[in-house]
Amino acid sequence: MKNSSIYSVLALSLGMAVANAQTLKSTKVAGFSEKDINAKEWEKAVALVVPVQPQNIIQPAFNKATITEVSVKSINDGRSIAFLLEWKDSSRNAMVDTKVFSDQVAIQFPQVAASEPSFMMGNQGGRVHIIHWKAIWQDDIEKGYRDVKTAHPNYWSDMYYFSKKENAVNEPAEKEKFANSATVDQFKSVEGRNYMHGAYAGNPMSLFDRKQPAEELIAEGYGTLTTQAIQNSNAWGVYEKGVWKVLITRPLASEDNADAKLTPKTQFAIAVWDGAAENRGGRKHYSMWSELQVVTK
Amino acid sequence: MANVNNWQLKREMEYPYEESRPKKQIGYIFDTNKCIACQTCTVACKTTWTSGKGQETMFWNNVETKPYGGYPSKWDINLLQELDGQEWDKTTGAYKGKTIFEAAEEGEKVKGWMPNDRDYAFPNIGEDECSSAVDKGAFFNGFHNVWMFYMARICNHCTYPGCVAACPRKAIYKREEDGIVLIDESRCRGYRECIKACPYKKTFFNMVTRVSEKCIGCFPLIEKGEQPRCVQTCIGKIRLQGFLGTPKTARIDNPIDHIVHFKKLALPLYPQFGTEPNVYYIPPIHVPIDFLQQMFGPGVAEAIETYKNLKNDKQLLGALLLFSSTPKIIYTYKVIGEEAVGYDEAGVEIVRVPFVEQSVVRPFKDEVNGTFRTNTP
Repeated sequence: MKNSSIYSVLALSLGMAVANAQTLKSTKVAGFSEKDINAKEWEKAVALVVPVQPQNIIQPAFNKATITEVSVKSINDGRSIAFLLEWKDSSRNAMVDTKVFSDQVAIQFPQVAASEPSFMMGNQGGRVHIIHWKAIWQDDIEKGYRDVKTAHPNYWSDMYYFSKKENAVNEPAEKEKFANSATVDQFKSVEGRNYMHGAYAGNPMSLFDRKQPAEELIAEGYGTLTTQAIQNSNAWGVYEKGVWKVLITRPLASEDNADAKLTPKTQFAIAVWDGAAENRGGRKHYSMWSELQVVTK
Repeated sequence: MANVNNWQLKREMEYPYEESRPKKQIGYIFDTNKCIACQTCTVACKTTWTSGKGQETMFWNNVETKPYGGYPSKWDINLLQELDGQEWDKTTGAYKGKTIFEAAEEGEKVKGWMPNDRDYAFPNIGEDECSSAVDKGAFFNGFHNVWMFYMARICNHCTYPGCVAACPRKAIYKREEDGIVLIDESRCRGYRECIKACPYKKTFFNMVTRVSEKCIGCFPLIEKGEQPRCVQTCIGKIRLQGFLGTPKTARIDNPIDHIVHFKKLALPLYPQFGTEPNVYYIPPIHVPIDFLQQMFGPGVAEAIETYKNLKNDKQLLGALLLFSSTPKIIYTYKVIGEEAVGYDEAGVEIVRVPFVEQSVVRPFKDEVNGTFRTNTP
């Protein structure tokens, strides 16, 4: 706490000056799937292993790393680019409760490579573009919205005037007595949203019908993370044998001006969160910049 | 870190932001001696603000039973045992220990702890249970060698909020116009740092919207000159809401200032945390002093003495009569003859409470209807 200002100065100087000498090459392929992490296109792609460390520069921080490196591969087909991120994680965390946190990963690019923004989510005037995937968002899409009943199956909320009575129970005689426990779908309505403060305020965390498990953001320093107006990235993750494999895709030449320009070369950085270690927000593992070369021919 | 003045601690302390007091500071006084834990305040708040999905175990207002009760469970004990040496200087009255900001470990802005789902599962724990006595003496001896009291709790709308200090996104702010502390529901990303940091555990995580929520001081009512729902609905009339000054700006004709600053009858809850909370409690008169001093600071013995001598202080008694007497916010008051009179911001009379309520004793036999009556006071 006392040393925070010293750490900040150190962080800024490191972030500005030190670029990782390693380079990730995005090779050209004929095409690729947005979800198939085992597709043959990935076989020839060369992985760059990016070391990550616990974020203990900015408060709130944490010190004990549970993840030490993320392996990154990239391919492109001239129109879209894909990144395959792999890291070891001893447990799959994709639930929600007050003290329950999700596994997550994010990739970051300078919006303008020449501006050399800080690897710590950029700095004022040095904007970064971030694509952020969460395991819980993917489960929302694959398995249905992670709700109170997912964590606590015996919860029953049927007191709302818009709670549906049909199909309440199998016995017809009981049909009028009990309503189904209200599902999150019912809270998408205008009257339902009045009960859901975050959804009412349009918070991107409170999307009940998420289309993609990834969010695109911009930032100019920590605490400034802002959801992009145009969301044109995709992501998909698979957890197998203690390893997360997450495929992040985006247009190579985006029409969205807020997106980072990737060709012919730029930089990228990784952040990864271990839900079991209560990682969230700034309590994460981060990497410094590595070079990205996009070969489109 | 900035150095700010915390008048409750009678010293300066460290806080991540500069001292910036609002134009008006919302303040409350709760009289623990009058609370019967009927939970009308809890229900009024619940039905108004937290009846949504994801808010099942969320109580912005709760009433718990001390010494065993707490919602979330052990909210205060968990923090107290982490803060060493909470001593007050006997001559100056200044706090000698560390606040939650000063005791924070490296890498943290605030010393806190993170509640789990089960901590929210027993809001009435400790209420009317046959527990053994806390070994600090007793009000009753012999058969009833135990003591307890009810404590109603809401957000303290602190002058130096732990939640504001901890939020890495600056999604929590204190309103300049009335000092109410709010979470920006569009900006929060659900990191739950505020939940870990708030020493009173009055920010909550909504697992359906996945962002945090808290008591909003019923600001739509405040904005039209009315007291919050929990205050208006209190059937025990234990509550008063108004705007509170500092020791320097306090006005003797403001009932809240009169009670807090001039008579020192109502005290902050765990002032040693260092957030300068703005809900003040008239301590229970029948609870061991050691326990109360840890909870309300060094002024407890004097406050209890003042309470016992209320009948000799007509100005103070007049201020207490105004509790839950009107939906409107009382800015000033006067004792006129045998009545306490409350006025709004413009000086217009809004309530008049007699010191002695009129009572009528009717004959047991109703001659007109040929029946018998029961008189209830």
